[in-house]
Amino acid sequence: MANEEKTSVIDKAKNLFVDFKEHWNTPAEGNYVPYKEYKDVVIGVGANYAGSKTLEYIGFWSSCFLIMHHYKLPYLTFSVIGLLNMPLGYVSALIWWYVCDNLGFLPKKTEKKVYLVYGLMMGFGISTLLFDYSRLFDQSGAFITMLNSFEGMNATACFKTFGTHFLYTGWVGARNIFWRKKLLPKYGRYKYSLYCDVVPKCIMVILIGWLPVYNIADIATRVWVANLLFATYNVFGFGNVLEECSKRISPNLKERILIRSYPVKLSHIFNSILAIILPAIVGTLRHEWADINFYRFVIPITFCISAAFTMGLAGRIKERIPQPPIEKKVQIKFWDGMLGVLKNKYLLINTIVGLIDSLGNGMLPFATILYFYTFRLSGLPYSLLVALISFAGTPPDLLSPYFLKRFSYKQIMIFYQLSRAIGNVIIAVSMWTLGDNLALCGTICVVVLFFMEMTKTVPTTAGHDMGVRINDYQMYLSGERLESFAGIFGWFTGPIISFVGLIIPIFLLKYGFNSNWEILFFDGSRRNIVVVPIIVDAIGFFLMTIPYLFWDYDNKKQNLVMEVLKRRAEVTEKKAQEEGASISGGYKG
Amino acid sequence: MSKKEKKKVNDWQTDVQLDIPEDEIWTYQVPGLAAPHINKPYKYYNFKKAIFVIVIIIAVSLSMYFSVMALQNDTFEYTETENGIEFSKFSNTGYLYELDIDYVSDIEYIAGNNDPKTNFKVVKDTEKPITSVREFTLNCDDKIKTIRIGENVEFVDGKAFYSCWALQNIEVDENNPNYCDVDGVLYNKDKTEILCYPCDHDEYLRQKYGYEKELYKDEVTPEYEKDIQTYVVPSSVKKIAEMCFNYANLRVIYLPEGLETIETLAVFKLHERVDQWGTTPSLTNVYSYVADDVTDTRFTTQKPLGEVYNSLPEGLKFIGSDAFSYNQALEYVYIPESVTYIGHHAFWDTCYKDGGELKGVTVMNVAVSEDEFGKLEVGDDWRPKYDWLLFKKAIDVNYSSEREA
Repeated sequence: MANEEKTSVIDKAKNLFVDFKEHWNTPAEGNYVPYKEYKDVVIGVGANYAGSKTLEYIGFWSSCFLIMHHYKLPYLTFSVIGLLNMPLGYVSALIWWYVCDNLGFLPKKTEKKVYLVYGLMMGFGISTLLFDYSRLFDQSGAFITMLNSFEGMNATACFKTFGTHFLYTGWVGARNIFWRKKLLPKYGRYKYSLYCDVVPKCIMVILIGWLPVYNIADIATRVWVANLLFATYNVFGFGNVLEECSKRISPNLKERILIRSYPVKLSHIFNSILAIILPAIVGTLRHEWADINFYRFVIPITFCISAAFTMGLAGRIKERIPQPPIEKKVQIKFWDGMLGVLKNKYLLINTIVGLIDSLGNGMLPFATILYFYTFRLSGLPYSLLVALISFAGTPPDLLSPYFLKRFSYKQIMIFYQLSRAIGNVIIAVSMWTLGDNLALCGTICVVVLFFMEMTKTVPTTAGHDMGVRINDYQMYLSGERLESFAGIFGWFTGPIISFVGLIIPIFLLKYGFNSNWEILFFDGSRRNIVVVPIIVDAIGFFLMTIPYLFWDYDNKKQNLVMEVLKRRAEVTEKKAQEEGASISGGYKG
Repeated sequence: MSKKEKKKVNDWQTDVQLDIPEDEIWTYQVPGLAAPHINKPYKYYNFKKAIFVIVIIIAVSLSMYFSVMALQNDTFEYTETENGIEFSKFSNTGYLYELDIDYVSDIEYIAGNNDPKTNFKVVKDTEKPITSVREFTLNCDDKIKTIRIGENVEFVDGKAFYSCWALQNIEVDENNPNYCDVDGVLYNKDKTEILCYPCDHDEYLRQKYGYEKELYKDEVTPEYEKDIQTYVVPSSVKKIAEMCFNYANLRVIYLPEGLETIETLAVFKLHERVDQWGTTPSLTNVYSYVADDVTDTRFTTQKPLGEVYNSLPEGLKFIGSDAFSYNQALEYVYIPESVTYIGHHAFWDTCYKDGGELKGVTVMNVAVSEDEFGKLEVGDDWRPKYDWLLFKKAIDVNYSSEREA
């Protein structure tokens, strides 16, 4: 019996090997991806993911250590900047969606007009940096005194921040049209941006560490100059686009999930290794996380190496969305795009979930506080603890195909929200009651974080997969994926989220939390600053279970949608060929 | 439905085949899903557009209004309490360098003056005296240089002036029955508790003693160190309050033998400039002295202080958490026999490795024996740790040691 089992295992291994060899260059029947591309996914997505995660150490947000330790910007200032940018954000989003969802291919006249608008925006933005427009107003008037009263700002800084957003929007918008038209037909809609952004991004990463903007003495000046620096840095992206591409690597649902669960998951090992090495290097620096050399040497070197590997592999990972050739794609009119996404019931449910989730906006990263301010971790112990908790999610993720087959998306997401809620309640109770006993309180928190991470990865995988499916469904509904127009839901929720997101920061300010994070060393303040937002977040997680009760999009519906999409691509391409039209970028599946 | 059937519901391989005629590819409706709507006019198109625009405008306007209201700060905020008026929050206009905490105040702008530095004045309502100052009333302010506390103020929270980077001195009205100042440093009236040594007090001392500019670490002369970077805590003081000396530019502190309590973060992260851009830890020594009639906080010679020990003062009972954290320039610590409580991380990060060599507080000297020390209430990680084989190792404790004169 034992021998038979052994033989069977050996046979399976042999068959697997033969299968790999046979389909190394050409996919098996019914599949779309050769095994060679699996290898490219592992290395390419791995490098891209590691690079993008490395960039998380740099960002214009309050929880970035560079910002909190070196720039020392007031916590509420980020809300003020968000508020200043909000009106322009609405206007610029309109043009952005229109351009993106037409893949950058606009009628000539429209294109000229859009370029003109972006050019004017840039011109205005630059002029606000050169001149102080606040001096045009009555300095003792209500408007200027209101601007002066914002935390960390004054009227001059407000105008320059406002102008910076114009400059940023115009610059990004113009690049978006130019590079999409040039690169998208060749590289596809997800990874084209790598080719135009990677070099300037590397330069900006180096400049962020070396430009001593954080030494500007006046806080309001420091705010607007830092905002300008980071806005320029953000013009160039290095998102996790190869993973996005790999989510659309096959029209076959099973193959898609397999690639998401194995090669993609395996590719994250590069980042896991970096997540251990980087903090260990930090531990060797004299001032550890507060040492500026981390941003001058460690981050740029790591990022540039990751970027080089990413670019080496990017060309080999293909997106395979069944779609008509670009020349024959459905042209989306602006209002059709707007109203088209509003017909998508599942986007609406996700929006409601996001709205409830905003209850926790503005809270500080609990795990960071736990590691740095409770445990005072650095170096290898920090790396190992973070790696241990991150690893908690890996075994369940390898079983994602089983869970996704066994449970519906609705069940998975309801379980996910409940597990978050319960975990947060346990953390809040332990911090409130055992705050002074660092060892016990910290251990309970770490164990809870471990379990929360364990229960997170399968829902995350399900969520990513469902995100792609919702786009497929949108393509079925509207003839395009309308991924950008889907941002319209943010228009409705944005104002509410923006206001709700102020509740926690204002509350934190009352407990002494501002630009100096070292108040968190004070036990009493740390408890207040951390626990109450966690409880608010827990309530949000409980409430988030409700919208998922109405989710009914299943595999059967998805398969039928994919059949419709394939048929559309097939018929359109056939007609185009009959008409003798030139075609590119289509995929029949 | 059986379990097997349930499993099938989620099966990816659900076999579907659709035979869609070529002219129906854009209109074919999948059962259970909404019908496609491609290149077709919408019903009530204009009405829908109008509703959409109106809803958005209202939502954005309301959000902007409420957000601005929430973010806009009054310069002075007060709260009525049982004991009178509490000063609860101060938000600098950007051009206020002195702050009086005596009466309820407000900013009045001068019409026609377009210079933001001078176009306002602070008006006081002398009918409404301030009686208390809430914690974090000033939080990370980088403009205020002088705070003046009025005669009616009965209570100032220990954390009221947190991280005021430009604060040089605190002056207290001499008629105030609860508080006083000693050369710009805040004490309680009988000087048994030192409450706040302003972050930028060294600038005040430089002006007072005629130094034209701040000397960077390598330029510091013995005289400068004595005048500016040395502080003698008067012999009457029993307690150093929370966050009292944090971020001060001090190299040496003399503590009286009668001191009993050093509170949480009391001597946290003292630092000095190395150049225009950077700072480095400054506190090198904490001495104790035995004389019991010292009132002058300026260090001249050791003579008026009597015997001086390189030690925390005998009689000290309580060392709060993070009391001496992040003072890497400190090299010697002696914990006397009288200590009964040491908070967590009390001496955290006072030791580091530089080129393989251990620097800072490399050993903790304790007066009591190991057995006696075991009976004390001691918080986690009270000793500093240093890099050791990629991990961290706590420094050794030298039990039953004798303090150095």
